[in-house]
Amino acid sequence: MDYDKLLNLGVELGRRLMESGAEIYRVEESVERLLKAYGLDPQIFAIPNCLIVSVTTPQGHPITRMCRIPAHGTDIELLERCNELCRRLCRDPAPVEEAERMMEQLSNCRQFPSYVLLLGYMMTTGFFALFFGGGFWDCISAALCGMAVGGCILYGQWLTGSNIFFCTVVQAAVAAVLALVLVRIGVGQNLEAITIGTLMVLVPGRALTNAMREIMAGDIFSGLNRTAEVLLVATAMALGTAIPLVLGQYL
Amino acid sequence: MGEIMTGYILPCLWASLACVGFGLVFNIQGVGVLICGFGAGLGWLAYLLTVRLGMGDIFAAFLAAIVIGVYSEVMARIRRCPVTGYLQVALLPLVPGAGIYYTMQYCVEGETQLFLSTLLHTFGFAAALSVGAMLTTSVLRALLPHLRRGGT
Repeated sequence: MDYDKLLNLGVELGRRLMESGAEIYRVEESVERLLKAYGLDPQIFAIPNCLIVSVTTPQGHPITRMCRIPAHGTDIELLERCNELCRRLCRDPAPVEEAERMMEQLSNCRQFPSYVLLLGYMMTTGFFALFFGGGFWDCISAALCGMAVGGCILYGQWLTGSNIFFCTVVQAAVAAVLALVLVRIGVGQNLEAITIGTLMVLVPGRALTNAMREIMAGDIFSGLNRTAEVLLVATAMALGTAIPLVLGQYL
Repeated sequence: MGEIMTGYILPCLWASLACVGFGLVFNIQGVGVLICGFGAGLGWLAYLLTVRLGMGDIFAAFLAAIVIGVYSEVMARIRRCPVTGYLQVALLPLVPGAGIYYTMQYCVEGETQLFLSTLLHTFGFAAALSVGAMLTTSVLRALLPHLRRGGT
């Protein structure tokens, strides 16, 4: 059996899982189960931006591969596909080449076109504005702000870089400035509802839910990492929203 | 009747629709989006009812997170999918975005007392949320093997 290819298969699965936003214990468990199904005894270590997989071949030769995970979003469809593939390969391990081909096919799983994503952002912010007590026009203004923030997230990478703190400050500032402008020119009335509604797409919900789950699963290090992320993003949101409010007092 | 409509049904509806939108952003395909939306509405209803019964809102957030946790675990078991996606999206209305906003506002206005109390309240709210969501998973993980063994 080709152990190099097998190791690559395991790392590839782990990398995809991490990039789809899975919890650490799920990544470690899936890779371990997959490699065990092929008769290996792997050692796996993962933290939010790094994955290390090591196996020893029956000849006693150790092989290790390390994979750095870049900043990523959440992709539930990819997560479900990976989970399904892992389960299938564990039940009856296909030949390595075929398994590699299946893994390749995961890359072209269904993705929404970007206008649907923009629509998603607009829907979220618009309805959250209603949720926080806005009226019809506040909903429209918040949807506009949401479109601007969604545009920043989807197309603004070249401007903001991948630093999560700076990204969030810029996005929150865009949201708050636009909300202020829309209220000043008389489209919306309820500034708070519009701003909070728009901020809801930036809120670190994913990190917050995962932080405790990781700590309880025993991955204290990853849990602390996510907790720090939550605090950082929340501070960045507050900073970004504060900029136009402070300016607005003098204008 | 009017009070029930504006006080309970409409907020839950808005929360559901907003979460359907956010489900699209997270690339949840097919029926999954609707499941998330319904979970969000259910969670917010649990929160509103608990507040109505006179409990504090931090306790209400804790209970609502448990309701959402149970709902997501059940749905994940039925659809044989990872639970984390449903949980993240359905919890969104409860994440204290408003708390962060008001905290920042009091800080800018220089209201130190209000700033500190809102900050602590926001922390408590977020902690209640994540403990509630985590508790269901841990309890289910501990109980399910025993239940299965007892059943068969």
